[in-house]
Amino acid sequence: MHFDYRLSEDWDENTTDLATADETDLRYYAATGDIIFRTDQTDLSARWGWIPLIDFALAMRKIGEGLAVGEGSETFEFTESEAKLQFDRRGQEMTISGSYAPGKITIPFTAFVEKARDFGQRLDAELLAKRPELGQNPVYQAFKLSGLSA
Amino acid sequence: MPMLQWSVWLSIGLMVSSVWGARGQDVTGGSPGQVIVTQRAIRHVEERHWPDSPAQGAGKFSPGITEESFRQLVGEAVANGRARQNSHGRPGQIYEYDFGHPIGINIDGRPAYRLRVVVNQRNQLITAFPF
Repeated sequence: MHFDYRLSEDWDENTTDLATADETDLRYYAATGDIIFRTDQTDLSARWGWIPLIDFALAMRKIGEGLAVGEGSETFEFTESEAKLQFDRRGQEMTISGSYAPGKITIPFTAFVEKARDFGQRLDAELLAKRPELGQNPVYQAFKLSGLSA
Repeated sequence: MPMLQWSVWLSIGLMVSSVWGARGQDVTGGSPGQVIVTQRAIRHVEERHWPDSPAQGAGKFSPGITEESFRQLVGEAVANGRARQNSHGRPGQIYEYDFGHPIGINIDGRPAYRLRVVVNQRNQLITAFPF
């Protein structure tokens, strides 16, 4: 599974001060872009440009944590639409489907957790490289994007 | 002695009322009728959900929407809609309300009858869109 993101070039136009941005700013307005979520057969990518990527990384961690104890389902709601991603864990496998695209992606649960962790680490590194003032933001620090674990 | 008893009861009363008040704020996020709609939130909604917005994958309000009519839709949805906690650790609450008539289009381009309103813990509007 290819699990990646693309930061929009103009994502910080409406974010006044990233060093002092609050949780709402960081989870709804900052670091927006696309998510890429696909296999050779299925594409659940959302290339809408406005998806808040910090929020997405945190939600993926939360979903991994929620399903770590055993079988179950979690739903990710996109922030600006009724679109959803559904995560169903059965045994050691995770099946992912989207309300906005056909098909399903099935991968080992542990692979999903690893990819979610990698997603957060890469996003953290890119954001801090492009906007170092984020590193001074206590709310952002508390997110511990690079410490994603389930 | 009666004075001492009176002051003890007064102190207990103040403690109980302050704890109760704080709990009420945490649970409800303040009075639903008092959602604060900032210009920044309006700008955000215009960029994503106004009829002429180019944003993909996001519901759009019907042509003719104005800032004033948008505020009215938000107020009605918050006053009469179903409330729930935001998901996956996101701050604040979500209100959803079915207006019974189209207020815009959803991401599939079909008529949208419902409005989702997202507010933070301070009861400030974060976003709102038809679906």
